[in-house]
Amino acid sequence: MPHIAILNRDAHHDLRVRPHGVNQPEDRMHFVPVVVGEFGHLVTHYPILFAKDAETGAFFAGAMLGFEPGENLFAAEPPSRDVYRPLNLQRVPFFTSGDNIAIDLDSPRVGTHADGQGLFDETGGPSPYLQGIMGVFQQLVPGLERTRAFIARLLQLRLIEPVTFDLTFDDGRTITTDGLYTIDQDALRGLPDEAALALFRDGSLHLMSLMIASLKQVPQLARRKNDQLTQGFSGLSGAFG
Amino acid sequence: MTESVHHIVIVGGGTAGWLTAGIIAARHKSRIQSGRFSVTLVESPNISIVGVGEGTWPTLRGTLEKIGVSETDFFRECDAAFKQGAKFAKWTTGTDDDYYYHPLMFPQGFTQQNLAPHWLRDGGGRSFCDAVSPQGQLCEAGLAPKMITTPEYQAVANYAYHLDAGKFAPFLMRHCTQKLGVRHVLADVTGVNQAGNGDIISVSTEQAGEVAGDLFVDCTGFHALLLGKALGVPFRDCSDVLFCDTALAVQVPFDEEDAPLASHTHSTALKAGWVWDIALPTRRGLGYVYSSRHTSEEAAHEELAAYVGPKFKDLKVRKIPIRSGHRETFWKNNCVAVGLAAGFLEPLEASAIVLIELSAKLIAEQMPANRQVMDIIARRFNETTLYRWGRIIDFLKLHYTLTQRTDTAFWRDNCDPATIPERLQNLMTLWTYQSPWFFDEFDRLEEVFPAASYQYVLYGMGFKTEVEDDEAADAVRARRLMGENLALTQRLRSQLPKNRDLIRKIHDFGLQPV
Repeated sequence: MPHIAILNRDAHHDLRVRPHGVNQPEDRMHFVPVVVGEFGHLVTHYPILFAKDAETGAFFAGAMLGFEPGENLFAAEPPSRDVYRPLNLQRVPFFTSGDNIAIDLDSPRVGTHADGQGLFDETGGPSPYLQGIMGVFQQLVPGLERTRAFIARLLQLRLIEPVTFDLTFDDGRTITTDGLYTIDQDALRGLPDEAALALFRDGSLHLMSLMIASLKQVPQLARRKNDQLTQGFSGLSGAFG
Repeated sequence: MTESVHHIVIVGGGTAGWLTAGIIAARHKSRIQSGRFSVTLVESPNISIVGVGEGTWPTLRGTLEKIGVSETDFFRECDAAFKQGAKFAKWTTGTDDDYYYHPLMFPQGFTQQNLAPHWLRDGGGRSFCDAVSPQGQLCEAGLAPKMITTPEYQAVANYAYHLDAGKFAPFLMRHCTQKLGVRHVLADVTGVNQAGNGDIISVSTEQAGEVAGDLFVDCTGFHALLLGKALGVPFRDCSDVLFCDTALAVQVPFDEEDAPLASHTHSTALKAGWVWDIALPTRRGLGYVYSSRHTSEEAAHEELAAYVGPKFKDLKVRKIPIRSGHRETFWKNNCVAVGLAAGFLEPLEASAIVLIELSAKLIAEQMPANRQVMDIIARRFNETTLYRWGRIIDFLKLHYTLTQRTDTAFWRDNCDPATIPERLQNLMTLWTYQSPWFFDEFDRLEEVFPAASYQYVLYGMGFKTEVEDDEAADAVRARRLMGENLALTQRLRSQLPKNRDLIRKIHDFGLQPV
């Protein structure tokens, strides 16, 4: 069990956190849960899709960062490139506990690293870094509820359908994705006017359009994987690790 | 009376009445909404339903989906559980290790190749079921046929349900009246009013006056108030083939709330019949179906007590008469019988509810436009339904004729050729030299028991078919298909959750519609 403690300015005054460059499980997530408020940022890089929680079967929205478990095709991206990182990656190693922010003290990101970010300033107030984290949670917490409502609405109108991507890479490998869902565009076009107008007014139609547009990121993501594969294997044909 | 058929009157609630109402109303939904068609169900507030039918077929998934019921609601409100087939114990030799499965999945690659001959030559030490299907293994391991992420009504392994019949009828009633526009009249029928040609004009009721209609569906159970009493269609008894005529039923609580939950029906042969054992999330329902010509009620009671164990002394035993057989015709004039009013057979292969579904579907699909064409449709309905009853009787009898048990007169008498329908005798002669498959006579659309079911029972009970050597290409393909089945078995065994756990999750989280 990780050691998670509620953040406290006295106990955690000297802690430092490395937000980047630690090869941890969260850096290897291929499908990261997201909230509707970040769809506009996500759409410029990632396919936004639905998947089901393995424990409850409930739908959640996620950004696709890779095609297989353990694969994050953006992990090597330098922070200077300014590629948007989903809130659920930005928040690591922090959690919420009720109204408080908590921290995973066992995370290798957390320590007294000289190159880490401090959490509190000299006066005991939150550092700009911690303020940023608080800002992440201000989007994430209400965002979860809005996202759940958005999904419930789509399910009620039967606007979600399964989608499969068949991909072939230059090393000869093929991948068929499984367990992904997107907007059922035929069902959407078939909606009665009244329902379509209601979806426009409450903002759902805009979110659906972003999800549909984000499907164009799938070939981009595949190219990213292909580039990494061919670079990694140049001159080593047949030597698969 | 008008010539067009617009008003359907179903007499009798219960599983038959409400399922029929749901199937007809869902099929004619837009006509009902526009007021051009009506479905009325007249139900006595005083007669309780028989409600022992708790095993179903996979067809019920499609039926419930079609009438617009949520599978999650069905699980929650009817105490439903998964059923992946039946385990028949002690039917062949009667010893403790004697069992076989009749699963709900077709043998691997069934449409490409018949694996039975290959298995008969070289089964690799596996039972027929295990050689060709994963489902017996899934049942033995107590696994569910799907996952919480599998959408409603979709399966990883084919499945049907066990359900609480006492809750199923009210559940359907709510759906039919609230969502499908079925009119519900709570009243006791006191008389049936007929025209000169015998057609039913209306039923008189004590509380609601006369209820008139163009087509009447008799769902009055064993009473057969309309088709039997009013129209005088005789009953065709088949107790000369199927001997069981009585059931002693009990409900057994689980020792603890989270005890393992079987995902199949247990059917265990005793001295003068067999015990059904069906697990719902809340309790087990059991019943000893026996022949009163071969044992006494006291002896049957004792055998059931021995099966149940120490808990038996606290349980209430309900005695249910079984009159095996069916009406000579099912649709006469403007009246058609569905459910127990049409007939009843011992629940050995859970045929009661599937027959309701098939009959109601036929009525809904073939709904006569007017009185003139009704007789044509009635003739076709009777022909199809009579064929179905015949095939079910044959298939049930097959379980008895394949026994090697000679310990009691019940089992010996069952093998007497005089009690075996000629058609079944001929098939068994044929099957000595070729195994049932396609191109057999089981080619009717919606055949009740496909050739696969015959294979599972025949080879589960040690029947021998003489087989020639394979064509070389067939042998290669058969080995590949059996290999695929073993791989699938292994994959599903590691992937699927425990049956009890999935049902709890369905109660907690629900299944998704997609």
